[in-house]
Amino acid sequence: MTTFKAYKKDRLVFLRYLVLATKNLRRRLVRTGLTVAGVALAVAVAVSLGGFMLGYRGAIDKSIEMLGFQVMIMAKGCPYEAATMMLKGGTGLLYLPADTYQRVKSDPDIDSITPVFVGVAQKEGSSIRDEGSAKTFTIISGIDAPSFLVMKPWLKMKSGPGFDGGRWFSPDATNEIVMGYEVAEYEQRKIGDTFYASITPAGNPEPVRHEFKVVGVLERTGTQDDGTVFLPIDSARKFFGRPEQLTILGIKLKQFSSFKMREFETRWLKLPEVQVVGLQQVKSTLTGLVATAQTMIAAVAVIAVIVAFIGVINTILMSVYERTGEIGIMKALGARRGDIFQLIWLETLMICLAGALVGSAVAVLGAGLVERAIKSLADLGVTGSIVRITPAVLGYAVLGAIVLGFFGGLYPAWRASSMRPVDAIREGAA
Amino acid sequence: MEPIISARGIKRYYKRGSETVKALDGVDLTISSGEMVALLGPSGSGKTTLLNVLSCLDAPTDGTLVVAGKSVAGLKEEALVEVRRGVLGFVFQQFHLLPTLNVAENVELPLLFLGLKPDRRRTDEVLAMVGLSDRKTHLPRELSGGQMQRVAIARALNIDAKILVADEPTGNLDKVTGEQIFQLFKKLAKENDLALLITTHNTAFGYKADRVITMEDGRIVKEEHPGSAQASLRP
Repeated sequence: MTTFKAYKKDRLVFLRYLVLATKNLRRRLVRTGLTVAGVALAVAVAVSLGGFMLGYRGAIDKSIEMLGFQVMIMAKGCPYEAATMMLKGGTGLLYLPADTYQRVKSDPDIDSITPVFVGVAQKEGSSIRDEGSAKTFTIISGIDAPSFLVMKPWLKMKSGPGFDGGRWFSPDATNEIVMGYEVAEYEQRKIGDTFYASITPAGNPEPVRHEFKVVGVLERTGTQDDGTVFLPIDSARKFFGRPEQLTILGIKLKQFSSFKMREFETRWLKLPEVQVVGLQQVKSTLTGLVATAQTMIAAVAVIAVIVAFIGVINTILMSVYERTGEIGIMKALGARRGDIFQLIWLETLMICLAGALVGSAVAVLGAGLVERAIKSLADLGVTGSIVRITPAVLGYAVLGAIVLGFFGGLYPAWRASSMRPVDAIREGAA
Repeated sequence: MEPIISARGIKRYYKRGSETVKALDGVDLTISSGEMVALLGPSGSGKTTLLNVLSCLDAPTDGTLVVAGKSVAGLKEEALVEVRRGVLGFVFQQFHLLPTLNVAENVELPLLFLGLKPDRRRTDEVLAMVGLSDRKTHLPRELSGGQMQRVAIARALNIDAKILVADEPTGNLDKVTGEQIFQLFKKLAKENDLALLITTHNTAFGYKADRVITMEDGRIVKEEHPGSAQASLRP
C-alpha cells in the first residue's frame, strides 16, 4: 500500500484553494451572481466616469489646440458663451469695431493675428433633404484666408473625384465659398456646385438670398471647422450688414505664459467693450461647465461602490455563517487560521474580480451609449469623442475592485478564521 | 502497547451565567495505538466533552494531557491545531463532508491543509479499504448515511491518522449499516494500528469495543474490557 510518507509537497496548493473557493461560490449561483452584478455596476459607473473625465479633458485640449489661437479678443459678454463660440463656432451676436484689428495687430508681443466674422445663414432650398427648420441653418465664417491658415496650417483641401483642384477663395470674391468636411457631405456638395444661403443683414427685417459657388472642400479635422462654411471676411461683413465690425480676433503670442498673458490682457482691456479670453481661461470655463455634473456622477459612483462593498461583505458573511459547520470540520482536519482566512478572502477577491471584468466589459461596450446620453443632456462645448476608456482607466478600475475585495473580505475572513472548531461544529450541526 | 493518549485529572468547566458547569471533573484515561475505546453514558454525562478534549478540539480547564507524545494542556487553538494536523481523524454523527467536493476530493481535503499533493493511487486504496471504489466521483448528496461515514473514515486513513475520533458515528444510521460501520472501525483499528475513540448511545455497539468506559456527571464511573470480561468500577 502507498504510505502517507510518500506524499510530496504540493506546489500548486494555491490553485487547489482557488478551485475550492470557486466551488463554494458556485454553490449559491444566484446570490453570487447578484453580488457580482453589484460590483460590476459600480465598476461600470466608475469606468464610464473615468472615461468621461479623461475623454472630456482630451476633447477640450484637442479643441483648443485645433483652434490655433492662444488668445481671443472679443466683445464683452458671457465668458461661457465666448468659450462655446470659440470651440463650437456658435454666434456671439456681439461685435467688435473693425478698427480694433488695426490697433491690436501692432502689439509687439503678437506673433500672428487673424480677424474672424461669424454669422448664421439659412440654407434656403439648397438641401436635397427634407428636414425640420432646426436643420436649415449653417454657420458662416468670414475669414482672412492667409492669416487664418497661419493659425491653422493643418487645414487641407479634400481630394478625390469631385474634390480635386480645391482652393481658397480670393480675398475680394463675393460668391466663392469653402465648405467644411461635414457640411459639404451633409449638403452633398462638390467643387463647382452651387450653394444657396439666405442672410438677414443688420437692420433689415427681410433675408437676402445669395448664390455661392463651392471652390474648395476641406478634409475632416474633427473640430468645429468641419461644420462651417467659409467665405472672405469682407464679403461676410457686407452680407450681414456689418461692414465695420468683427466677431473675434484670434491671436498667437510670441511667448505664451501666464505673465505675458496678464500683461497683454491688461494692455488691451483698456479698449472699451473688449474682453481678452485666454486659452487657460477657456479651459477652466469649460471644465467648470461640467464640474457639477462630474461631481454628481462621482457621487453616484461612490454610492454604487459603497453599496457594492456592503453587498460583498453581506454575501461572504452569509456564506460564512451557512458554512459554520464546514469551517469547523476543516479546522478539525488541520486547517490553520491562515488557511481559512485565505479561503474566505479568495472568495471575496474572486467576486470582486469577476465584477470588475464584467463591469469593465459593460463600460467598454456601452461607451457609445454613455457618450450619446451625455451629449443629449448637455452641450459641453467640444466636438469629437468625450468618453475615452483607456487600458489605464480599466486597470485602475480592476485595481479598485481588488482593493474593494481586499478590505471587504477582511472581516468575514477574520470571523471565519477565529471560530473555535468545537463551537463551529456544534453550531453547524444545530 | 504504547499509549497515544494519556490524560490525568482532566477538568473542563464552563461558565453558564453565574453557574459553573463541571462538564469533566477529574478524568484519568490512557488509550493505546490499535485500541478501540467506546464511551457510553447518558446525555450530559460528558462523553462528547471528553472526546473534544482528548482530540484537541477543546482545551481542558485543568489536568495534564499528552497526545501523540505532545503535552497539550493549556494550549490555545493556534497550538492545538498543530497537534491535530496529520494525527487525528474525525467522524461525526452529522457526517460533515464538504457538499461541493466529491468523494475523492473529500478524502483528499486534509492534504490541502498539510500542503501535500494528493496521490490518486493512495486515494483509490483507502476508498477500496472502506468499500467505496465505485463512488469516487459522487457528491455527498448522492450517498447514503453509511457511505458518508465511510468517506469520513477514508479521510482519516488517507493521512495515516494515529487517532480516529467518532462522535455518535451510528446515530444517523440504521441498525445493519451501524453494525457494518462498527465492524469496519474494528478491522481498521487492528490493521492500521489506529487508536479509536467512539461515543455512542448504542450499548450493543459499544460493547463490541476493546474497552468500554461509562461516564456520569463528568466522571468515569465504570471501565470494562468486554473481550476479557473484566470490569472495574471507579469511585
